Amino acid sequence: MAIQKDRVRFNVGGKIFETTATTLAIAGRDSYFAAMFDDNWDLQPNPAGEYFIDRNPDCFAILLDLLRTGELYVPPNVPERLLYREALFYGLADHVRSAKWGRFDGNRLHLLKSITGRAPGDGTAIRASSEGGCCVAHGSMVHIYDWMLEEHPPINLDYQRVNDAGWVGPVDPNGLVISTCERLGRGQGGMGLFNSTTGELRYKFSVTHENVVKSYTAGALCFNDGYNLFSSCKGRSNEYGIGVWDQNTGQQVDFFYEPPGWSLGDADKLQWLNGSNCLLVATLFPRKDNCYISLLDFRSKSMVWSWSDMWSPANSDDRRVRDAIAMEENGSICVVNEFEDLGFMDLRRDSGSVRWSSRSRIMKGKMPDEPCYPKLALHEGQLFSSMNDCISVFCGSDWVLTSRLKRSFGGSICDFSIGGDRLFALHSEENVFDVWETPPPSIV
Amino acid sequence: MSSQKKKNFQIEAFKHRVVVDPKYADRTWKILEHAIHEIYNHNASGLSFEELYRNAYNMVLHKFGEKLYSGLVSTMTLHLKQIAASVEASQGSLFLEELNRNWAEHTKALQMIRDILMYMDRTFIPSTRKTPVHELGLNLWRDNIIRASNIQTRLKETLLETVQKERNGEVINRSLMRNIVKMLMDLGPSVYQQDFEKPFLDVSGNFYRGESQQFIECCDCGNYLKKAEKRLNEEIERVSNYLDAQSEVKITNVVEKEMIESQMTRLVHMENSGLVNMIVDDKYDDLGRIYNLFRRVPNGLMLIRDVMNSHIRETGKQLVTDPERVKDPVEFVQRLLDEKAKHDKIVNLAFNSDKTFQNALNSSFEYFINLNVRSPEFISLFVDDKLRRGLKGASEEDVEIILDKVMVLFRYLQEKDVFEKYYKQHLAKRLLSGRSVSEDAERSLILKLKTECGYQFTSKLEGMFTDMKTSHDTMQGFYEAMGRALANGPILSVQVLTTGSWPTQSIPACNLPHEILTVCERFKTYYLGTHNGRRLTWQTNMGSADIKATFSGGKKHELNVSTYQMCVLMLFNNVDQLSYKEIEQAVEIPTVELKRCLQSLACAKGKNVLRKEPMSKDVSENDSFFFNDSFSSKLYKVKIGTVVAQKESEPEKQETRQRVEEDRKPQIEAAIVRIMKARRVLDHNNIVAEVTKQLQSRFLANPIVIKKRIESLIEREFLERDREDRKLYRYLA
Repeated sequence: MAIQKDRVRFNVGGKIFETTATTLAIAGRDSYFAAMFDDNWDLQPNPAGEYFIDRNPDCFAILLDLLRTGELYVPPNVPERLLYREALFYGLADHVRSAKWGRFDGNRLHLLKSITGRAPGDGTAIRASSEGGCCVAHGSMVHIYDWMLEEHPPINLDYQRVNDAGWVGPVDPNGLVISTCERLGRGQGGMGLFNSTTGELRYKFSVTHENVVKSYTAGALCFNDGYNLFSSCKGRSNEYGIGVWDQNTGQQVDFFYEPPGWSLGDADKLQWLNGSNCLLVATLFPRKDNCYISLLDFRSKSMVWSWSDMWSPANSDDRRVRDAIAMEENGSICVVNEFEDLGFMDLRRDSGSVRWSSRSRIMKGKMPDEPCYPKLALHEGQLFSSMNDCISVFCGSDWVLTSRLKRSFGGSICDFSIGGDRLFALHSEENVFDVWETPPPSIV
Repeated sequence: MSSQKKKNFQIEAFKHRVVVDPKYADRTWKILEHAIHEIYNHNASGLSFEELYRNAYNMVLHKFGEKLYSGLVSTMTLHLKQIAASVEASQGSLFLEELNRNWAEHTKALQMIRDILMYMDRTFIPSTRKTPVHELGLNLWRDNIIRASNIQTRLKETLLETVQKERNGEVINRSLMRNIVKMLMDLGPSVYQQDFEKPFLDVSGNFYRGESQQFIECCDCGNYLKKAEKRLNEEIERVSNYLDAQSEVKITNVVEKEMIESQMTRLVHMENSGLVNMIVDDKYDDLGRIYNLFRRVPNGLMLIRDVMNSHIRETGKQLVTDPERVKDPVEFVQRLLDEKAKHDKIVNLAFNSDKTFQNALNSSFEYFINLNVRSPEFISLFVDDKLRRGLKGASEEDVEIILDKVMVLFRYLQEKDVFEKYYKQHLAKRLLSGRSVSEDAERSLILKLKTECGYQFTSKLEGMFTDMKTSHDTMQGFYEAMGRALANGPILSVQVLTTGSWPTQSIPACNLPHEILTVCERFKTYYLGTHNGRRLTWQTNMGSADIKATFSGGKKHELNVSTYQMCVLMLFNNVDQLSYKEIEQAVEIPTVELKRCLQSLACAKGKNVLRKEPMSKDVSENDSFFFNDSFSSKLYKVKIGTVVAQKESEPEKQETRQRVEEDRKPQIEAAIVRIMKARRVLDHNNIVAEVTKQLQSRFLANPIVIKKRIESLIEREFLERDREDRKLYRYLA
């Protein structure tokens, strides 16, 4: 090479770029540049001292700048899709993704875009993946979007209604578990693990009762760190309760049968608590009887904490609990009622009462025609609650309202999810979902 | 749920795909296949990386990933089959080298193939859950080369043979071994374990089993251990040279099991060279070796400890029960100390100061020292000896060292109160006769006893020192007060001893000579005049006197005698001859004491200021005594010791014993009351257990005595028996 040993000259699609080996080294071992300059190849530049690459020069300029500065600047004339494709070619997709948006902060979120779905009105669930993509379940379909918000082939569940979906997580970024209703008489339904890029079914999770495989309806889903998958199950006879499977093998490893008078199989929300090795099970939209929230310890097969509105007066706030979330660090469970009042229960005391926070109840009485009940989420000490077309962010030990995320159309929000440093909110009316993200850190 | 997918859901609505020329895929693959061949044939310099990467990218982009992947598998397999053939064909010792060379080339080629197929590795493989390129290359190598039927066994045997050669002392190519072993590890831990480690451990086990048999037949214990240690170190070195670090534990386990554990008992008990011989001969190196080797096997140290323990107990028992040894207490204790020092040194030098060994040593010493009931007395005598003369001229540090050693023995004593009793007696003698070498040493020992047994244990001993000091002051005060009045009389030095602190006996005072009596009476008046409400009793049995005597030819001597002796000698101021009866009447000294005193005055050679008729060793009641005018001595000052057995005589011993038992009673009672006060209700067995525990630091309480004390307390209504359960006692507040 000419003057400096470190200097590298590229000819990309006819345009000359000069950079240094040090800059290229930032791309990492799994990149085009690392492979290219592998000693084994003993690569020689052409007589002009250049290395030719038959790719788009504009994108190369952006990516080279990303390697130099760690920041991503995409000029308006370059479509993002084009840039992503080129990044994939060079093995820089991860660099682009991590430079594109910043670390999640509920108080600094900006609306990236709103994506319109196909069938309006029956959105069930939206689930963020750890990489910044998401899946949207509505009816018997699950639509998959990757972090570039490219839609992948949807997964069709053969006209079974989808109840919940969940990403397996970083160990298997493509793994998506979908729970559906049982179809009577055919032994179908239940739950399966799908490959989100190809839409192929890897295996089904079956429920076995006394060595007989039973058909069942799978409800809410939840994963824990130990590669276990939990789901609320409703079977034909005895199979009411919480099933546990090994997510790597698909084998059923445990089943927590529903105690009499306590509704587990109907649970709408499951949450694994790492610290106490327990599962929070909340049944909040029962058909006839009461609401139940309980913590299950699977090792001792016991209910270590429980609450029910059974004993609450008919018109109290307790009767209208619509979502619950355990906050282990605070040792409490947060609940929300249909007017978006937050209530708290002490986890350390059994069957305690709900302490409702004294937030203003301006929302009361302004119920939209088709109400969507509030939902809760917790992310790194920030509490999120959705109500109508708006998501509120609460922070601090007293859960002060700090931000509101609102978009004026699409109707009320039926579900939202945080993951991969993004927040996804699904609207019920038009099946539109919003993607919120934190901008990259400022330059200085 | 259905796995059947509705294909019509992903129809062209989303993507307009250009139909690619079907031959395009084949053409592109040909290029890549050619490149892979060239890479394996070392012809890569003619290839364009950019073009190959782009081609592989295009194949994946146009959904020919599957074709690309399966093409890669078959092409690579083809090459590996060729390599396998060439490895198989290699002759004898070249086998490993050929394998190693091909492995190096394969890894290099694999790296380059991965470079050009990187896009597939990144996108196609994860989404289809296929094996990544690098791992695929390793798996194919494993299946086609390492586990090929003609190679697998040969490789294993060659490796094991090479290790065996090295064990036999031959020089082998270690770097080649290292490379091959590293290859097995790169292929995954299971390959290393299955194809090498397991057979290696099996073969090693057989080898060492045989070798240990051979060694044990022809070596003594020390040599055997040296050999075992050498083998062990060799294996550890081998692991660090060319095996996986995790094999170290496994192979050393094999050596330990075969060479040590299986021969353990035989080694320890080996005749003439076993553990006991090593201990007796202070073979620190051998002992250190046996410790370090046996530590590695389960129960190894326990075996050493047990054998050492029983050896120490055995020799210790002999030591303390040998009637010859018991004759001289100082010698006896010195032997104990030597024995302790010897074993301490062994534990420290050879056994790594292992706590469990120290404990075992302590328990053994405790065991045999207490076998002899006179141990407390002897230890106190030893201290007495040291403090009276033994320490003369010794530096402060030396004194401390000796005292510390004594304290170690003291700790072993179960009957510490017996020791206290004797110590008090001996200390009293030392103090009263002014024989103690160093007050610092005395105080230092008391401080040590205090830290060991608490304030209570030494308070009386300390009281003795205080008495000495006050007496000194009192005497000064007395003589100042008297002034000239006493100038011509004998000089009196009175030690005022607090009752209880001193081992005083209520022996009636003897008849003091008139001269002395006057001074004594004056002192008594003086003392009682300055201190109210006190009572003084003379302890004439404990005093001493210096008297001047003139013998024939005007030879003058100063005689250092006891008070009793003085009384006897003063009688001869007026007469030359007295019968035993006359003396006894005149002085009123208890018979035993008088006999002893006369014996020392008349029978001791060179000290016989009296003459006895008839001449004999013992004093009988019909003897007559004369002033020995012809007494002569080279010294001006003559010390006439009392014929006191240093050790206690049998009846004295009984008496001391009895006093100790008496003293224990209140202590046991106090302990019972303390415990019952806290527990209110307790059954008999538990009381006994707790009392024993509480008093452990002083003595071992006898359960029968405890029972008696309980009964006595019941009589005195401190306790009562439970009305329903007679085994229970209740505390009565």
